Amino acid sequence: MEHSTFYLGMIPLYPLLGAVCIGLFHVLTCKRWQVPPLVYGLLACVGPAMSFFLALRVFFELRALPLDARFFTYKAFTWFSVGDLHLDMGFLADPLSGLMLLFVTFIGTLIHVYSIGYMSGDKSYAKFFAYMNLFLGSMLILVLGDSPVVMFVGWEGVGLCSYLLISYYSEDRDNVLAGNKAFIVNRIGDLGFVLGMGFLFWAIGSHGFDFLSLKANAHMMTESSILIVCLLLFVGATGKSAQIPLYVWLPDAMAGPTPVSALIHAATMVTAGVYMVARFSFLYVEVAAAGMIVAWIGILTALLAAIFGMFQDDIKKVLAYSTVSQLGYMFAGVGVTAYSAGIFHVFTHAFFKALLFLGAGAVIYVLHHEQNIWKMGGLKKKMPITYCTMLIGALALAGCPPFAGFFSKDEILYSALANGHFFIWLIGVLVAAMTAYYTFRMIFVVFHGQPRDQQAYDHAHEAPLVMTVPLIILAIGALFAGFYNLPAIFGGEQMISHWLAPSVADQHPHDSFLLEFFVIATSVAAFAFGLWVAYKRFGKGAEEPVFTGFARFAYHKFYVDELYDAVFVRPYKAIGAEISEGVEPNMTDAPVTGIARLYMRVGTLVKVLQSGYVRVYAIYMVLGLGIMSFILSQSLN
Amino acid sequence: MFAHLLSVMIFLPIVAGLILLFAPLSRTTARIVGFGVSLAVLVLSIDVYAGFTATGKLEFVEYIPWIPSLGIAYHLGIDGISLFILMASAVLLPMVYVLFGTREKGYYANLLLVEGAMIGAVCAADLVLFYVFWEVMLLPVFFMLGLYGGPRKIPATLKITLYTIAGSLLMLAALAYLAVQYHALTGEWSFSIEKMGLLDLSGHAAALALFGFMIAFAIKIPLFPFHTWLPDAYTEAPTATTFVLSAIMAKIGVYGVIRVVMPAFEMEFARYALFFAYAGVIGMMYCGLTAIAQKDYKRLLAFSSASHMGIIAVGVFSMNVQALTGTIYQIVAHATSTGVLFLFAGILEERTRTRSINDLGGIASQAPIFALFFAIAMLASVGLPGTSGFIGEFLIILGALKFNVAIGVLTGLSLIIGVCYMLWLFQRVFFEKSKTASERFKDLSPVESLAFVPVILLILVMGIYPHPFLRKIEPSTAQYFAAATPVVAQATTVTPALAADLTTEKN
Repeated sequence: MEHSTFYLGMIPLYPLLGAVCIGLFHVLTCKRWQVPPLVYGLLACVGPAMSFFLALRVFFELRALPLDARFFTYKAFTWFSVGDLHLDMGFLADPLSGLMLLFVTFIGTLIHVYSIGYMSGDKSYAKFFAYMNLFLGSMLILVLGDSPVVMFVGWEGVGLCSYLLISYYSEDRDNVLAGNKAFIVNRIGDLGFVLGMGFLFWAIGSHGFDFLSLKANAHMMTESSILIVCLLLFVGATGKSAQIPLYVWLPDAMAGPTPVSALIHAATMVTAGVYMVARFSFLYVEVAAAGMIVAWIGILTALLAAIFGMFQDDIKKVLAYSTVSQLGYMFAGVGVTAYSAGIFHVFTHAFFKALLFLGAGAVIYVLHHEQNIWKMGGLKKKMPITYCTMLIGALALAGCPPFAGFFSKDEILYSALANGHFFIWLIGVLVAAMTAYYTFRMIFVVFHGQPRDQQAYDHAHEAPLVMTVPLIILAIGALFAGFYNLPAIFGGEQMISHWLAPSVADQHPHDSFLLEFFVIATSVAAFAFGLWVAYKRFGKGAEEPVFTGFARFAYHKFYVDELYDAVFVRPYKAIGAEISEGVEPNMTDAPVTGIARLYMRVGTLVKVLQSGYVRVYAIYMVLGLGIMSFILSQSLN
Repeated sequence: MFAHLLSVMIFLPIVAGLILLFAPLSRTTARIVGFGVSLAVLVLSIDVYAGFTATGKLEFVEYIPWIPSLGIAYHLGIDGISLFILMASAVLLPMVYVLFGTREKGYYANLLLVEGAMIGAVCAADLVLFYVFWEVMLLPVFFMLGLYGGPRKIPATLKITLYTIAGSLLMLAALAYLAVQYHALTGEWSFSIEKMGLLDLSGHAAALALFGFMIAFAIKIPLFPFHTWLPDAYTEAPTATTFVLSAIMAKIGVYGVIRVVMPAFEMEFARYALFFAYAGVIGMMYCGLTAIAQKDYKRLLAFSSASHMGIIAVGVFSMNVQALTGTIYQIVAHATSTGVLFLFAGILEERTRTRSINDLGGIASQAPIFALFFAIAMLASVGLPGTSGFIGEFLIILGALKFNVAIGVLTGLSLIIGVCYMLWLFQRVFFEKSKTASERFKDLSPVESLAFVPVILLILVMGIYPHPFLRKIEPSTAQYFAAATPVVAQATTVTPALAADLTTEKN
């Protein structure tokens, strides 16, 4: 078996090698001659494309395996082994990772191609592609890792790339600060992940710390320790997948180049948290409370982000909040133990959100880095391909049947209601309406109505082919991806749910056509309502609104950033300064300097005695003799 | 000659250093001689590494009676714990001769002397010999800091010297106590570290002796609150000295705890372990928080180094095989990351003539290779997976969680604290816009890059494929937790934590 699974290790290796090659090539050549950017671009596409073909192979090989043994592993080497902790650098292919692999490599490759066009005018082209390849390699380690620790390698690796790419335009301080914020907030989550792994290890890890052994031994854990592990791991997920309370970094992460926003901060990395919860579904199903917390955090994040999304004026920020909001849906899905529904939404979301970001990128590209939607307008005529593809993406995001987002969102909402979580479903429907509203607000303002900046409009044109082709491919995905999991009510077979069944511990509610019909009807109604309101307000052109009252509060994102700054960041710095300038010299170091000073003072006192005059010493001698003879006479008596 | 490999590694640099000190040689010759000798030691150390079979016992043993009436001997030998500190010093020190502009002859002589003394300290298998090397280590530092240091070198020199000597005296008393106890129980005199491990002392006097050792080691490490000599010394010392102090000498303090204190005071050690572990985590947080308030990058790195030493200390006091193995691993990781960051700081200082973070900016675009190497060392220092720093830190956190949940969680905080000040530093120095001081920052020359390549590769290899390294360490660390049946059983009570440890670690 060993020889035939070897290629599993090659999947993350190809992009990583790509990163190293680009980096080395750049370092060796940068001082002597100018390498045409296209070379790096093409070099960068090779690794992801190779990984994609191997991912296809994984998929077909998995499909050939019988349903109850649908996995295979590849252990590259013993990673480390101390005491009863034994870890391999091992990779696991099963239906869950197989599906993730497929669309991560597929979308990854497309975005690399798109970047050739988008980054064409950039100075440090090579650096960008090296980071992108490094990211994809890390993401694939995350997906394929056969133990929590190997997964964590990818987990932190993608975080690093995210940091590097957010602060890519590093001359601007704000971008670097956004990068720092992303890294630090993610690290807070990672602490949860590490501690979760620690508790898990001491509970059952000594019998093998890979996912298969953990799954087999999970029954040995007590309920309370499962709950602790689940919650700690979920802290990790809230960091990476931008959920309350750690969502704050994602909107700022839009400071990076747009392909980065599409690949990392929408399609792949941010869904890692959902993937992780699905990976650990064997633990989450054991304790209902853990799932409930996940679901509630998810749906509340969905609501909060949707509120923020309705008031943003930066096209990327709108999309960023929509990502946070959709991630909330996914967590609601995995929280109500509908793991396959959550992953299905990850899958469809990857297509339409990458599409929307790349479309937004095309707009930003032709408008010379203008991101404010109130400076756009009427672009429909100038950029027909971008418009059409983005419209498909918007319909998918807003949940219009039969676009991809509709089916996956419907699946989550149905599972929530069927599993008896009425309020989660209700908030979900509300968010669906809000999603339709802010998505079409963006579409209408950007593409419809009259141009708001005539000069920019006149210079606008359709994006080059290398950018529009990926858009078209993704649009096809956004149109049809939903059909892979068509529910029975539409005569579908729920292919993805069945595919994922061996990997995740779905708890299937009884199918009820009536309930399903009801959920679909409300979702469609919510979509139509949102669309209608957006059309009424922005359909025929609108001026930039002035926010007052609640809208103003929401426009400023409820001042959460300011709150965090006041409660965490400033005190942290103040404590640092206080220790450095107050505590250290005056308290910690005081005894040391105190002893030194005491020594000096005693020395000065004793110095007086040693005057150097013989007569003084004679007196000391007489005194000493006197005392001695006194003591002697006393003791003799 | 090769029967006495360790002796050669100790005395080759010491003799060469003494010759340099007295022979009328030019500065350049001194530099070349220093580099040559340190390379020779490196070659020998590779021989040692290859020949080391990881039995868990002392290897490469040399034994020559020295003062037989007291059982003092010239007794050398290394196990998996000493091996890695030995390797760290042998691998890292040659870099120092390559990287910076030529300096005084005495500077290179002292570097050689300190290398020999440090290797001696980790190879010594006799307490008296250990003490001798321990003291000798300080002398070159005294001269390097006092003669070639920065503007505020004199107070810094006095502080580190007096502070360390105060600790050493306590250690001297404590080790005399050990020998006396050994004599009282067995009727023979010995200062062999191995034999002291057979003792299992408890009671008030033993606790006093334990603290005698601990204070000496805590000052060297430095463990909170005995760290106050560090910021001044690290900042004022010439780069090479700071590097030696942070990368290796601090580790010898940790080594002392593992080698001398842990085995000899098993019960008392277990009793006070939690207390010391708290000192470790408090130190980590205290120094980590302080780091973010620094305006001088060398000082920031000094606090960062101290902060990481806190984590390493936690690993020692957590008393299980994961944590202790992680500690040894982290010792090397810390030397190659935080230690090496001091070298980068030295280059920064040499080229920009400033130590103020505010004067710098935009170096990443001026000097991409320098920035890349710095970033890799920095990421290893914050424990990013894929670098050596992660393996050690992960093992320590894992072990600490088992020892005590609160300690484990607090140790985990280093994940966040480290990142905060490091990213802040990186942002201000490497990102943002260039300032006058850093405007024409010259990137690393090919020779300089080449000097850094081995250590950068080491960071990555140790992160990606740590197994071969850990295999050399583990037999020695596991020994501490194997069924230790003290020959001289004096203890009456076994603490529950230790009992649990002993039973689980046997599996």
